[in-house]
Amino acid sequence: MTKPLNIREIALEILMEITEEQAYSHVVMRQVLEKYQYLEKRDRAFITRCVEGTLEHMIQMDYIIEQFSNVPVYNMKPLIRNLLRMSVYQMKYMDSVPDSAVCNEAVRLAQRRGFYNLKGFVNGVLRSTARRLGQVCYPDPKMEPLHYLSVKYSFPIWMLDKWVAQFGYETTEKICRDTHMEKQTVVRCNLSKASREEIIRELEEQGIRTEPHPYLDYALKISGYNYIKAISAFKKGWIQVQDISSMLVAEVAAPNWGDTCFDVCAAPGGKSLHVAEKLMGSGCVEARDVSEYKVKLMQENIDRIGAINIQAVLKDATVRDEASVQKADIVLADVPCSGLGVIGKKQDIKYKMSEKQQQDIIRLQRRILSAVQEYVKPGGVLIYSTCTIGADENQYNIKWFLDNFPFHLESIDPYICDELKGRTTGGGYIQLLPGLHQSDGFFIARLRREEESRAAFEEG
Amino acid sequence: MALRQIRIMGDEKLEKTCRPVTEMTPRTKELIRDMLDTMYDANGVGLAAPQVGILKRIVVIDVGEGPIVLVNPVILETSGEQTGQEGCLSLPGQAGIVTRPNYVKVKACDENMQEFELEGEELLARAICHECDHLDGIMYVRYVEGELFDTSDEDYDEDETEE
Repeated sequence: MTKPLNIREIALEILMEITEEQAYSHVVMRQVLEKYQYLEKRDRAFITRCVEGTLEHMIQMDYIIEQFSNVPVYNMKPLIRNLLRMSVYQMKYMDSVPDSAVCNEAVRLAQRRGFYNLKGFVNGVLRSTARRLGQVCYPDPKMEPLHYLSVKYSFPIWMLDKWVAQFGYETTEKICRDTHMEKQTVVRCNLSKASREEIIRELEEQGIRTEPHPYLDYALKISGYNYIKAISAFKKGWIQVQDISSMLVAEVAAPNWGDTCFDVCAAPGGKSLHVAEKLMGSGCVEARDVSEYKVKLMQENIDRIGAINIQAVLKDATVRDEASVQKADIVLADVPCSGLGVIGKKQDIKYKMSEKQQQDIIRLQRRILSAVQEYVKPGGVLIYSTCTIGADENQYNIKWFLDNFPFHLESIDPYICDELKGRTTGGGYIQLLPGLHQSDGFFIARLRREEESRAAFEEG
Repeated sequence: MALRQIRIMGDEKLEKTCRPVTEMTPRTKELIRDMLDTMYDANGVGLAAPQVGILKRIVVIDVGEGPIVLVNPVILETSGEQTGQEGCLSLPGQAGIVTRPNYVKVKACDENMQEFELEGEELLARAICHECDHLDGIMYVRYVEGELFDTSDEDYDEDETEE
């Protein structure tokens, strides 16, 4: 007989891959759920909840475990540490599972995975947790404010430290809290295919609830569906899943009829398609990416939608492309980033990022900017964007860019709704913060290349 | 360690009734060792002799609590029921839902032909039933409720959702 599937063991294996092997949670989850499609819906839901919840609250789980274990979490065997994390998560957040079942299953699992000698340890820690979970003493918000936030919302201290310095304590808490809120799906209506009213009618006929998004009239928040690809409006290419922040990039880029646009880090291609749509078939958009696989996917998507003024191109944004120099009216530089603005959707980001890694990312961002700024025609526009929050990858990069290249910031107020206008938008950039704005954390800056450089170029 | 080839469903050895073991010979002991090796190698929790082509009433089981060898097993008592997924090394990549007793009491000889009794619940009970069936030429597919389903690994492409 073959070894039977144990849903807790599957959950544990996923956690191991994400926390110990550096795999990305959303990629692993999707692969595993596809692999175990035949499992009952209830079992699939358990796996998803158990893994995502444990990741979401991992620092808090470790804090609780250390109240009842004399071995610190970082000294435990990786399998044991993840087994304890997901067991404590079930005790604290999944009321449907009795504590005794959590303990028994964990002990059995430890044994099955060859840790006979640690059965007693697992049992001891979990029985104590079950008994005294309600009496755990958490850090005091007044005495240790950062530690309090860290344990309550499971964020690393170094990240909180930076945010509190930049945004203040209250805003930081709002950002953290928002990452634990359920996210609504936002879609962009493809107005070249159908009107907003037609699309809403089509969605509501399938029982999907729609709600207008306050920032853009062609954006809709949708809920009450099971599987996006089964929605008829999606199949027809009428709607595209895209966060509002990403839609704002094409708005701020504001292409003119016939413009040439290079989207240098384009995958999965939503922004490029959006710009192409705004060009109404004129001009051309090059959706570039460094991954062959992603370029292929983008081209398939373009073909599905049937856009004629856009193509996917394999090109590495860090390498200067002579043929592109001064060819673009608009360059979109949506650079790779630490992703701290989308933690609500990808919980593991907050543990994987470190200050050192962030420094590497900033170097990469500057390499890309150095190469692609040359593609902008004199008087053309470069839109810099990231899905992260914090000055290091945003404002400081812009400052560095302005110090080194002949560009200036330009107001984005003409392109955004009143609700988003603020202290910085007139100056040329916006930092969207989850919890404060109805969007992911995101940064957009509009930079115009000086006309003078053309004069200098022509004289030379 | 010697691995034996696992017979796949359709092989006639899997449809025969096996003969009792009358005496323990060095060859039979070697068979038992090989069956354990083969089972562990295939990541299984149980294996019956006909699955490696030998028509003797021998099964080996390990549900994670150490190896169990049952020679000439006879199920004495069952009770309760459990419904869950079951798969077989002789039908790789497939599984189905099977209802089995939740408790089983079995009488058998060990590898030295000493008689003993064993009680099992849940997974162990399921494994005892599944393996003893093999000795009478019965595959679990006979009891599957609904359809068999595919459990084989496949490669998945990476793709991204829009941020």
